[in-house]
Amino acid sequence: MTTQAALVDRVRTAIEAVPDPELPPVTIGMLGMVHDLEVDDDGRVRVALLPTFAGCPATDMIRIDVEAAVAAIPEVSDVRVQFHYTPVWTPARISEEGHRRLADFGIAPPLDPGREDDAGPPAGAVSLPIVSVVEATSGRTCPWCESTATTRDSAFGPTPCRDLWMCTECRQPFEGFKSA
Amino acid sequence: MTSLRAAPGVTIATALGAPRSQLLLVLGDDDLVTGHRASYWTGVAPAIEMDLAFATIAQDGINHADLWYQLIVGSELSGNDPQVRAAVDAIGLGRDPGDYRHAILCERPPGDIAFSIARHIVVDHVLATRLDALTGSSDRDIAGLAGKIAWEQRYHLRHAVRYLGLLAGAEPAQRSRFTRALERVVAEAFGLFESFAGEAEVVADGTLPVAHAELRDAWLERMQTVLAPHGLDGVLDVDEVPSDALGGRLGNHSPDFTDELWPEMTTLYRSDPAAEW
Repeated sequence: MTTQAALVDRVRTAIEAVPDPELPPVTIGMLGMVHDLEVDDDGRVRVALLPTFAGCPATDMIRIDVEAAVAAIPEVSDVRVQFHYTPVWTPARISEEGHRRLADFGIAPPLDPGREDDAGPPAGAVSLPIVSVVEATSGRTCPWCESTATTRDSAFGPTPCRDLWMCTECRQPFEGFKSA
Repeated sequence: MTSLRAAPGVTIATALGAPRSQLLLVLGDDDLVTGHRASYWTGVAPAIEMDLAFATIAQDGINHADLWYQLIVGSELSGNDPQVRAAVDAIGLGRDPGDYRHAILCERPPGDIAFSIARHIVVDHVLATRLDALTGSSDRDIAGLAGKIAWEQRYHLRHAVRYLGLLAGAEPAQRSRFTRALERVVAEAFGLFESFAGEAEVVADGTLPVAHAELRDAWLERMQTVLAPHGLDGVLDVDEVPSDALGGRLGNHSPDFTDELWPEMTTLYRSDPAAEW
């Protein structure tokens, strides 16, 4: 491995290890937010991140944390972080480890493959469905008892990326990571 | 000529009068003002679910506005650059009232729950219709951001339609109060489809793939589908659009904005545009 390739690897590792400020057990690497990374011969780093939500107020904190993590590498002379909206981040970018840590944290992961609500945005043009079904048609898996007998209590939660659920099996409320 | 109150040394490279900038101001201002009005219900909504919803809708609106403004300042989304940050803040909060391009309906006071929910239903369906169209924009940044926001908008629509069902199915007195609010909101919503200065240019080059006048038809179809199951589609027959609901796209705003919302929304920024946060 060349020195340059090794440096890129170290930079990538440092970026991916940055925790999400609102979900500390989960890193931005696990969330699949790292889109692109360039390191030039003079040690200048450009990072392209995909925000999970366009209206996420934590993006600034994530940017500052990523800049600090990268700047701590001695060979790095400069770092610039940008957020991109193409390609669109989708729940499919969350790693298996990310799913596990979200559930351990008490938040149902967003992706249950096959459920219409969790399919994520399609590539290219989006056409919003006309909403006629009011309640969620399928439940998330309860992070406490793993039952799928759950209902959505509220489409909005403590942060823009989370909604509120109730488990009818263990009678516990829990939060879900939205599928947007 | 648009004047901006901005921190010393901040310059805005793109003229706000350019057609693309005017489009982005329309998009951003509708979101910003809708967000500010939604924030009224934080802590005082009659149901916790609604409280959370309006708080999030407010946050989404203001953050989405910020992103549209970022596209005025630079082609790449780079709101972290201090100069870009200062310029975006100046666009959002440093303009005179007459330089805002949102529709009058968005600036109306929250009124009662019937009015706020009626506006939530109507305006969010307008925004969804327009976002759908914008995903086909010839401007890559606008198309990408529209797709992202459109997907998040599903949650707003879901909440709106849920309360449509609840208020439409309420006791007759509540239902008729809600129906009257819906009638007023739908009539004023026509102000959202007025064209803005430079619209012809951005339609011609594909930046705005569908003109506002045509978006209105797509929105009416959507509303028909949403309202008909509740027997409320009659509110879509609007005889006359109230003239005081028009003019927002050209910066002619009502005292609801110039004397009330604008002073409150911008007071902190105006007190010290150079403050660092």
